Amino acid sequence: MTTLLLQLLLNALALGAAYALIALGFVLVLNATSAVNFAQGDMVMAGGYVAIALAAVLPLPGIALLPVVAVLMAALGALLSLLAYFPLIGRPPVAVFISTIALGVMLEGSANAIFGAEPRAAPALVGAGAIELAGIHLPYQRLAIVALASLLILLQHLLFAKTQLGRRLRAVAQDREMARALGIAAAPLIAGTFALGTGLAGAAGLLLANEWFVTPTEGTNYILKAYIAVTIGGWGSVPGAVVGALLVALFEVGVSSALSYSVATALLYAAVLAILFFRPQGIFGEAAQARA
Amino acid sequence: MSLELGPYELRLLTVAGCYALPVLGYQLVFGHAGALSLAQGAFFGLGAYATALLATRWGWGFLATFPASILVPVALAALVAAPVLRLRSHYFALATLGIAQVVLLAAVNWTELTGGANGLAGVPGVVFAGVPVPRGWPMLALVWGLVLAVMLASHLALRGRWSRAFALLRARPLAAAAIGLDEGRMRLAAFLASAACAGAGGALYVHTLRVVSPEALGFPVMVACLAMSVIGGAKHVLGAPLGALLLVHLPEWFRFLDLYRNVAYGAALLAAIVLAPSGIAGALARALPRRAAPAPKPQAPPAPRRPRADEGPLLAIDGLAKSFGGVRALDGVALSLRPGEILGLIGPNGSGKTTLLNLVSGFETPDRGAIRLAGARIDAMPPHAIARSGVGRTFQTPALVEEMSALDAVSLARGKELVAARPEAMHFLAEVGIGAEAAAEKVGRLPFGLRRRVELARALALQPRLLLLDEPASGLTAGEREALGNLLRRLAGQGLGLLVVEHDMPFLLGLAHRVACLDEGRLIALGTPAEVRRAPAVIAAYLGEAA
Repeated sequence: MTTLLLQLLLNALALGAAYALIALGFVLVLNATSAVNFAQGDMVMAGGYVAIALAAVLPLPGIALLPVVAVLMAALGALLSLLAYFPLIGRPPVAVFISTIALGVMLEGSANAIFGAEPRAAPALVGAGAIELAGIHLPYQRLAIVALASLLILLQHLLFAKTQLGRRLRAVAQDREMARALGIAAAPLIAGTFALGTGLAGAAGLLLANEWFVTPTEGTNYILKAYIAVTIGGWGSVPGAVVGALLVALFEVGVSSALSYSVATALLYAAVLAILFFRPQGIFGEAAQARA
Repeated sequence: MSLELGPYELRLLTVAGCYALPVLGYQLVFGHAGALSLAQGAFFGLGAYATALLATRWGWGFLATFPASILVPVALAALVAAPVLRLRSHYFALATLGIAQVVLLAAVNWTELTGGANGLAGVPGVVFAGVPVPRGWPMLALVWGLVLAVMLASHLALRGRWSRAFALLRARPLAAAAIGLDEGRMRLAAFLASAACAGAGGALYVHTLRVVSPEALGFPVMVACLAMSVIGGAKHVLGAPLGALLLVHLPEWFRFLDLYRNVAYGAALLAAIVLAPSGIAGALARALPRRAAPAPKPQAPPAPRRPRADEGPLLAIDGLAKSFGGVRALDGVALSLRPGEILGLIGPNGSGKTTLLNLVSGFETPDRGAIRLAGARIDAMPPHAIARSGVGRTFQTPALVEEMSALDAVSLARGKELVAARPEAMHFLAEVGIGAEAAAEKVGRLPFGLRRRVELARALALQPRLLLLDEPASGLTAGEREALGNLLRRLAGQGLGLLVVEHDMPFLLGLAHRVACLDEGRLIALGTPAEVRRAPAVIAAYLGEAA
C-alpha cells in the first residue's frame, strides 16, 4: 500500500514538476504584461514536436536535446511577442487573450499538418530503466523529469533574484512606467520574458512528450492546467504557480488512480468552479491587479 | 431562382447560417457585455446533442426538439451564472472554458447516451408541422429566415438605450452602477440570450449535417464563434452573418493550402484583432456617415417630492469602519446631513474621503456601522439599488464614455428609452449650462470643464435626494468654479442634500454649510467652515504633528 502510494507520489511529482514549468512561464508573462498568454499550452505541444523533429536529426537522449529545444522555443516565444503582444499595447487586455488564441490555432494547425494527428513520443531523457529502492519502482524518466524541472525552476529563481537582468525584469513586471523612467528599456525585457516563458513551456513539452505522448490538440489541456495552477496559487504569484501546479498534478494522479482520468479532469474543473464560487478572488487572493 | 448553386454550396451557406446564430448570441455576451465567454461552443454543441438525442432516441418532432435544444444550454447557463458571472474577466474566461471541457468530457465518455467519440447518426431533417423541409434551398431559407429574425430582434433590443448602457458598463462599470444600471442582470440577460442563440444554431446544424459528434462542442467551434465575431464585428448585428459567411467559406478559398487551412484561419483571426479590431461591420459603420441625433428642446420631468429639512436627517452615518488589508481607511465615523444642506468633506490625501463616498454609494461594504438614507438602511444594498433610491454621484475624473454624445450620456440616467429620455436630459444639461450644440458633441471632444458638467448633469438626471461630489471643482477655471458654486447652492435650495469632497479650500469653505474633516480614517472636526478652519486638530492634520 505504502509502496503504491509512494509510486503515485512520484508520478504526481513528475507531472507536477512539468506543469510547474508551464505555469511559471504563464505567470512570468502575466506579471510582465498583465496579459494572459493563451498560447502557452500550445507552446508545450510545440516543444514536444520540436524535440521529436530534433531527435530525427540528432539521435541523442532527451537530456542532451533539452537545451536546444529550450533555445528554439525561446526564439518562438520572442516571435510570439512580436506578432501577438506588441501590436496590441494600449488595447484592452482581452485583445492579447484573443491574439494568443489565434497563434495557438496556427501552432496546432501546423503541428497537425507536419506530424499528423496520431500521438507521438519524444525520446526519453536518459533511457529506459529504473531504480528499485526498498521495493519501490523508480523509473529514470520520472526521476529525471523531477530533477530537470527543479533545476530549471531553480535557475529561473536565481536569474530573477540574483542577477541584474532579473532585477530589471522584475522592475518591468512591477511598474512598467517607473521602469521606463529609470531608463530601463521595457520592450526587449518583455520580449525576453515571452522567450523565457515559452522556453519553459517548450522544456515541459520535451519532458512530458515521452511518457504522456504529444498530439496537436492537447494545448488546450495544458493551458487549462496552467491557468488553474495560477488561479489556485494566487493570480500573479510566482511561488504560488509552482505550488498550484503540484496540487493540480496531485489531484489528477490521485483521482485518476482511484477512478479514471476523465473523471479526474472533470472533477478538477468542478473543484475550480467551486473555488471561484466561494473565493472569487482565488484562494490566496491576487498578487497581480485586475486585468486580462 | 436561377442561381446556379450546387448542393455543396447550398450546404455551406446553410452551415454558415447555423454558425451566424451562435455568433449573434456571442455578440451579446462578448461584444456588448464585454465578457470573454469560452463556453459558446459548448452551448452550440449542447443544442446539437439535444436535438440528435431527442429525435433519434425518443422520436420527438422538430417543434418539440427545437425549443428543447434552446432550453438545455439556457438551463446550463442559468445554473452556472451565479458563480460565474460575477467573476473578473480572466477568471470568467477560465470558468467558462472549464464548463465547456466538462461538457466535452461528458459527450466523449457517457457512451451509452451520446455514442461516445462516434457520436450519433441518423438525425432526421426538419419536419415543420407535418411538412418536411428538405436540404437545399428550403433548409437554407429556414436557417437564414431565423438568422434574420434574430438579427432584427437583436437590433431592436439594442439600438438606442441598451447598446449605450452596455458601452458604459464595459468602459466605466462604477459609473453604470451609479446611475442605477444593474450590471448583474445585464450580464445575465446577455449570457442567457447567448446560450439560447447557440442552442438554436446547434439544433439547425445537426438537422443540416444529420450527424453529431463531440467535435460539435469542442474548442475549435468556440474559436470559430470568436473569430467570426471579431472578424465580422462584435458590436453590429451585420457582423454575425458576415463573419460566419466569410469564415465558413475561408477553408474553401484556401483549399490550395491543403493541410495548412487551419493555420490560415488562425492567421485571419490574428490579423483581424491586430488590424481591424471592430471588424468588417465596424469598418462599414464608420465608412457610412452618420448624423448625430439633433438635440431636442429641453423638457423638465415632473419634480420629485423632496424631503423637508424638518423630516429628520437625509443621510445618517453611524460608527462606520472599513479596512483594506491591514490599513484602516475609515474608523468609526459618524456624520449626518439634512435635506438642503451642503456638507463639505476635507482631509489630507489618504484620510478616507473617497472611501466614505464609495461606502455610501455601495461600491464597498462597510466592516461595521450603519448608513441610513431618510431613515432606511442602505449599507447592504448593491450600488445600482442605492442609486435608484436617490443617491447620485460624480467621480474624481469624469467617468464617461468618450465616443458617446453628452446628450446620450445623460439620457442613460433617465432609465427609459432614448426618444423619451433625450428632452428630459436636455433639461438637466441646460441646468448645468450646456446648450444644444455641446450636447450633441461626443464627450471625448469636449473640454475637461464641460465633461465635469456633463457628469454632474448625469447625476442630476437621476433626480437624486442626495448628491455625492468627488472633487467637483478640480481642473475648473475660476469662472467655471463660480458657476458651479452658484449651481450647487441653487440645488441645495431645492432641498437636495450635498456631500462634497474638495481640496480647493476657498471654494469649499465659501460653499458648505458645515465641514467635516477626516484624518487617517477618523473624524477630527465637524462644524461651520469658520470653526473647522480654526480647529487645532485640522491645522495639525494639514501641517503635520508639529503645529
